[in-house]
Amino acid sequence: MSGKKEVIQLKKVAKHYHLGENIVRALDGIDILINEGEFVSIMGPSGSGKSTAMNLVGSLDAPTHGKIFLDKKDISKFSESDLAQLRGKKIGFIFQQFNLINNLTARENIALPMMFQGASESERLKKADELLKMVDLGDRGSHYPNQLSGGQQQRVAIARSLANDPEVILADEPTGNLDTKTGQIIVSFLENLHKKGKTIVMVTHDPALAQKYSDVVYWLRDGKVEKITKKRRK
Amino acid sequence: MIGKEGIKYSLRNLKKSKDRSFFTILSIFIGIATIFIFVSFGLGLFSYIDEISGGASADKVIIQAKGAAAPGLDTTFELTESDLRVINGVTGVYETAGSYFRVVKLSQKDEVRYSFIISYTPDNPLILESFDIGVEKGKDLTASDSGKVILGSNFREDGKIFSQGYEINDKIEIDDKDFRVSGFLESIGNPQDDSQTYINEEAFQDTYPDTTSYGMIIARVNKEQIDVVVERIEKALRKHKDQEEGKEDFYVQSYAELLEAYSGALAGIVGFIIIIGIISVIVAAINTANTMITAVLERYKEIGILKAIGAKNSEILDIFLFESSFLGLIAGALGILAGFIITYVAKVILIGMGWSFLAPLYNVWLFVGCLVFAVVTGAISGVAPAIRASRINTVDALRYE
Repeated sequence: MSGKKEVIQLKKVAKHYHLGENIVRALDGIDILINEGEFVSIMGPSGSGKSTAMNLVGSLDAPTHGKIFLDKKDISKFSESDLAQLRGKKIGFIFQQFNLINNLTARENIALPMMFQGASESERLKKADELLKMVDLGDRGSHYPNQLSGGQQQRVAIARSLANDPEVILADEPTGNLDTKTGQIIVSFLENLHKKGKTIVMVTHDPALAQKYSDVVYWLRDGKVEKITKKRRK
Repeated sequence: MIGKEGIKYSLRNLKKSKDRSFFTILSIFIGIATIFIFVSFGLGLFSYIDEISGGASADKVIIQAKGAAAPGLDTTFELTESDLRVINGVTGVYETAGSYFRVVKLSQKDEVRYSFIISYTPDNPLILESFDIGVEKGKDLTASDSGKVILGSNFREDGKIFSQGYEINDKIEIDDKDFRVSGFLESIGNPQDDSQTYINEEAFQDTYPDTTSYGMIIARVNKEQIDVVVERIEKALRKHKDQEEGKEDFYVQSYAELLEAYSGALAGIVGFIIIIGIISVIVAAINTANTMITAVLERYKEIGILKAIGAKNSEILDIFLFESSFLGLIAGALGILAGFIITYVAKVILIGMGWSFLAPLYNVWLFVGCLVFAVVTGAISGVAPAIRASRINTVDALRYE
């Protein structure tokens, strides 16, 4: 992968939590490198630190030690507002629980991230409609999340993650709340986005899923990178 | 600033918790409606006082005998013609006029009413000037007119005093004697003053020779020195009546002083009620803050989602401030509307009853002020919850179930 642009890099990143008198080392000095256009999975059993890693990769949280680079810029010391602006522009999130806003329609949910980036209303709604069509939900724009199935909600979440045309899509257990067939559809959407050049970072506990689609898999255990597997895709 | 989706998001959240929103709005609404109602009545009364004090009454001083009842009804203490002459001789007094007051029986067919008849000197009508009224219809009396009267404006209307209103030149029976209606006065705005009968002094003395004490003496004085002149009149009368200071059987007061006393009392009452209104709005603000804190707790996870998809702390702050301000706006608008409807109905009723001087008055600042106050109250009560929402840790919020 040499010669590719580095999008996200974690250098000796640690995240420690204080639990009473004890220190929990959720991550203990990990290095992760995500290049442009790669499909990267972060794998590991429960408690391995993969969710913490995802929060750091997605600039949702700040490390206790180490540095995080986004487009070669050290963001470890960025203010919360700068981080919000940055992730709104550069990173799209897909969550296991879908995390749509229940009081907004599918179209409004998709348009919302664009509002925070200052896009005009007409731009937002036009883009939202395009993205709805892209996830095959062109006729569901005015539906509220509770009027959609789990798979449909996750497709709305995918559309929302693409609203600001981010470089990186960060998916945290995107199939965790879906049946196998629906999960397959969701992963194929991610695969398509990857083929279109998007950088995908997926957190999963499913080794088969990770190995099938990923260029690079980071295997975490007890807050450390246990191994890294790379695959040349067919 | 929050965009359309943000506004929709806020409004739908308020709608979703409609019971809570309703009670929050209701609490601000009551306070704003109370403030609107009392300020509008206060404005009406202050305007009435301004109108009187700014008019011909500004240079008048009233001298009355002390007594427990209305002028002319309590004859324990008297003001006589010799008192009038003494007052007339005081430096700074330009002219004086005494008025006799008496309760008389008025009859129209089988109907009988009792009202005041007040004497005045047509060539020196200080009592009418002090009320700042003149003859609106018909002719003023002349000093030589006998058997003629001028009536208050209520006599013109059917059903106000008698079932049938009077016209110019109609006959009116007063204490079983017939008088001719020469004219009608302009309306003063309260039923008692508008139901009085005026007669020239000579005719009064001929008709009621037993009434020898003036109900009131009015003096026109040097306006620039009115307080000094009041003191001089007091001193002169004390000397004339051989009375000690503090034990006088009369009192002397300038109109300005009288109105100031009314105005001060009025400001006190209106101010007190407005303070009660403001306290109720403050209580409402605490209620709003409570509503917003609950909203923040309920939407803890949503706030995390909004931050994850790019909302800055300031944007979260804006969303919650918008919600609390919007509650204030709705409550303010409804409070103003309710206040306006209530005071308007009251105005129509008061005017119908002849109490037009009590009618409320509106101005644009009353509307704008109440609305701004409601919105600012909502916004202020939302500040602490909004700050709390904006500082929520994104990762903790996303984990929250």
